[in-house]
Amino acid sequence: MKHSTRWGSAVAFAASVALLATGISAGSSSAATGNPVTVTFWHAYSSDGSEVKTITNILIPRFQAEHPDIIVKQVAIPYDSLHQKLLVAAAGGDLPDVVRADLAWVPELANLGVLSPLSTEMSDFKAYSQAVFPGTLATNYFKGKYYGLPLDTNTRVMFWNKAVFAKAGISKAPKTFADLKADAPKLKKIGAYLYGESGTGGWSILPWIWAGGGDITDAKYTKSSGYINSAKNIATIQMLVSMYKSGYIPNLITKNKSAIGTSDGLAKGKYATILDGPWMFPIMAGQYPNFKPTTVLVPAGLGGTSSVVGGEDVVMMSTTQQKAASLELIRYMLSTDWQLSMAKVGQMPVRKDVSAILPSIAPYYATFAEQLKTARPRIPSPNWQKIDAVLDDRLQRALNGSMTVKAALDSAAKAIDPLLAAQ
Amino acid sequence: MSEVAERKSGEPSALPSPKPPKRVPIARRRKSMGNRITPYLFLFPGIGVFSLTILFPIVKSLQISFYKWRVLPGIPSPFLGFGNYTRALHDPIFWRALVNSGFYMLVTVPPQIILGLLAAMLLNDKIRGRGLFRILIYLPVITSWVVVTLLFLYLFSGDGGFFNWILKDLHLIHQDVQWFGSRWPAMIAMSALGIWKGIGWSMIIYLAALQTVNPELVEAAAIDGAGAVRRFFAVTIPAVRRTTTFISMMLVIGGFNVFIQVYLMTEGGPLGSTEVLLTYMYRQAFSYLDFGYGSAIAFLLTGIILVLSGVQWRFFRPSEK
Repeated sequence: MKHSTRWGSAVAFAASVALLATGISAGSSSAATGNPVTVTFWHAYSSDGSEVKTITNILIPRFQAEHPDIIVKQVAIPYDSLHQKLLVAAAGGDLPDVVRADLAWVPELANLGVLSPLSTEMSDFKAYSQAVFPGTLATNYFKGKYYGLPLDTNTRVMFWNKAVFAKAGISKAPKTFADLKADAPKLKKIGAYLYGESGTGGWSILPWIWAGGGDITDAKYTKSSGYINSAKNIATIQMLVSMYKSGYIPNLITKNKSAIGTSDGLAKGKYATILDGPWMFPIMAGQYPNFKPTTVLVPAGLGGTSSVVGGEDVVMMSTTQQKAASLELIRYMLSTDWQLSMAKVGQMPVRKDVSAILPSIAPYYATFAEQLKTARPRIPSPNWQKIDAVLDDRLQRALNGSMTVKAALDSAAKAIDPLLAAQ
Repeated sequence: MSEVAERKSGEPSALPSPKPPKRVPIARRRKSMGNRITPYLFLFPGIGVFSLTILFPIVKSLQISFYKWRVLPGIPSPFLGFGNYTRALHDPIFWRALVNSGFYMLVTVPPQIILGLLAAMLLNDKIRGRGLFRILIYLPVITSWVVVTLLFLYLFSGDGGFFNWILKDLHLIHQDVQWFGSRWPAMIAMSALGIWKGIGWSMIIYLAALQTVNPELVEAAAIDGAGAVRRFFAVTIPAVRRTTTFISMMLVIGGFNVFIQVYLMTEGGPLGSTEVLLTYMYRQAFSYLDFGYGSAIAFLLTGIILVLSGVQWRFFRPSEK
């Protein structure tokens, strides 16, 4: 082989190695002084929803105009994978700067040490904490510090399909458990399920448990036995199991993936009622413009009406390199501007002043505001995910008949007690 | 003898007659060293990428499988030796997953082989529309797994799904079957998808193999009085034996590696009854973040497939004649 070809191949080899190296390192960003810093913001708004459009088209540009040295990079991650992604990112060391986290995850993440305590990091924390509802602020509390600020709140109310009920000869929405039991067979006759639900975790089942007059732990969240397997809970769960067996509740509740989803089922008239949140109104307007959803409070059992408080908190990761910029973004998210803009797309504000004018923003908020008066938060425990998994598993077994309701709840109590004791 | 003559006529620089070896001048020695390095330089990027993306993760997973591997920063990973492996062997869900993977493999592999061969035989003759039918049967092979899984979810829906509708129309059932409501109906639905998607692949390979069947043998058999069926069993099947070996081994590996349809159609449910080895491994590793256990399951699966492949190799070994 000639000299030139040998040198040629050596050069080609060196070039390919160099290209490989630059390809690998292309992702790293430089934080030179004077260059704008990038704040990465992870959230679980659906990537094609109106919330993201509001954020990218209105709110982030406004923020960046006010802060020319900050660039906000928002990343939409599906809700089902966001929690896991945070854990994996914590392990891999590539956490974002700011996250809109489900309030149920905050104690767990704080326990892991990946959250920055805003009550000590933010000089004006007190001002912001006083502008929001105390119940929403409390979801950020863990072992003496606040690890975030509330961002939005929500609850589930009963959506009912007026036309389907009318077709079955029922003119009024169900108000009590007794109404549900009476309406179910009439709805089945016209080919509609009474109530569509997509699982048996806390978010799905707690409104029923609380409306039925029971609870899953004592008031101080120390013990489950005697509470989750109380007579009232057994009656409530038995009601749901019987409805499932009689064909009033579709097998979507046993996570059958071939069953129609809750919102599609409601709009199409297959499901007469579902429980859902305020975000459903903009979504329905987009997907089923001819269907006008109507809402009532969760039907009352022995415990009156009740529901579960949801919402998200905004947290700053302890690993962030852009602390000042991230705090600026968080301040903007708690401003009236952000809260008001997001209220227009189904995100209930946590600021007291914005919440006071909610009905003028959209009339559909009325039921949710009313339900929030009787809605309760889920257990604020770092072990909530595991407790939720136990509850879900045992109720699934009760539904498919492999365990009686009493045995399932007893078994749940036994498994949840140690999880509560361990916090 | 003829080899030497061919070599001499093929290359302009004929081989020199054997002489005692003399010291090769420096320039020529350097050239031959460059000659030797060049192939490795060209191979390096390919092997580099392969080692980085395939070999390294495999070796690393093997290491991980011997630890209770912690992912969160700052926490040490205790060494377990074969602890994860013995845990798997005592885990009832592991055995259920193994049974499910095995069931899927046993139910999907023979039909793909048989129907693939039949389709190949039928489409080997010069009938009208032969090309179109070959395309139609092969098309499922190249479709996206995710797309067809969602499609089959709809077809097997328990609430007005297509197959329920047909079965009721034929009066084979009176009530909708909840295909994904329990273990075996769900396994059947997922196996149906697997078979449908794979027939085209074995058909194409058998088509190629059938071209190599000696037509004289077939004629000779016909002259000897063998009917079509007898010809099929006596001539065609032995002729494509090697192909059958290959297809069988590939399909068994693929069958045990079933993942996407189960993950998307049932997610291992209801209540873990349709869990297969790969979905269980995925759940352990990525949902529960127990990477050690997940890796152990993966290597146990590897071992099972190795054993099965070895068994098939012996079974299909061409008999010495």
